[in-house]
Amino acid sequence: MELSNIEKLLEKYFEGETTISEEKELKVYFTRETVPSHLERYKDLFQYFSEESQVKATRGLPLQSGTKNSRYMWIGVAASVALVVGLFVSNLAPNQQENLGTYEDPEVALQKTKEVLNLVSQYMNEGKGGLVYLNEFENTKNKFIK
Amino acid sequence: MKERAFITLTNGFKDKLFRLAKRLLVSNEEAEDATQEILLKLWRNKAKMAEYKNVEAFAMTMTKNYCYDKLKAKETGNLKIVHSNYKDEQPSLQRQVEAKDSLDWVGKIMNSLPEQQRMIIQLRDIEQYDNAEIAKMLEINETAVRVALSRGRKKIREELLKKHNYGVV
Repeated sequence: MELSNIEKLLEKYFEGETTISEEKELKVYFTRETVPSHLERYKDLFQYFSEESQVKATRGLPLQSGTKNSRYMWIGVAASVALVVGLFVSNLAPNQQENLGTYEDPEVALQKTKEVLNLVSQYMNEGKGGLVYLNEFENTKNKFIK
Repeated sequence: MKERAFITLTNGFKDKLFRLAKRLLVSNEEAEDATQEILLKLWRNKAKMAEYKNVEAFAMTMTKNYCYDKLKAKETGNLKIVHSNYKDEQPSLQRQVEAKDSLDWVGKIMNSLPEQQRMIIQLRDIEQYDNAEIAKMLEINETAVRVALSRGRKKIREELLKKHNYGVV
């Protein structure tokens, strides 16, 4: 391209009135090997621009770990829900059976409770009867330790 | 949307987000963090993604806002000082180093511009978006974009001229 043309373009460029394609022409012109000495100083500028457009981000994106985590999280949530539901279900079944055995009338309930307690104490006493033999130990021990 | 589809979609503009973030935050690490944060935000809201007309422009706006927040929180204050304190006064030893240096110099001039001009030049001259797109991304009107662009470019020219007149003897 002619020199005068380039100078005109440069003037327009600094006024901010060039189009993208005109700017590309300038860039191409100034990244060439030889540029007239009075325009030499603009060479750095355009070279800098074209060099800067090559800079790249190096770091990758940690997307995969993020999604994997959320998948594991959902598995965890599902497992804990299943656990809680399971506990409830297995707790409910025996409770219902117990409910079938309750008494409506407090009088009857009292009587039945007394019966049960008597039964328990009766067995207790029977069991305690077996412990009489332990007195023998006590007697023998007392012979030696006074 | 599946991970693979999301990654192919965002790979188209991921580097642009990074470069914009780097332009504003200067530090490489900060810019990487910002890019990651923005992409993760997009991923989390992927259900809404179909509603956005232009995901790329939307992501750019998000990046801009994120970086503004960061700058406002002064979390990057120290780094900024370190970077703008650097002065390129010593003549370099090798030609190659010198060439690299003078490109760095342009970068330094650019990073000394006000944030808005910096972003607009980044988006226009490096990423080659047109003014209408930039206006949408930065949530300002097109005239403001053009004015800021011209001001920023003129400022860079002025600084380059200074450097040219007494920097290289």
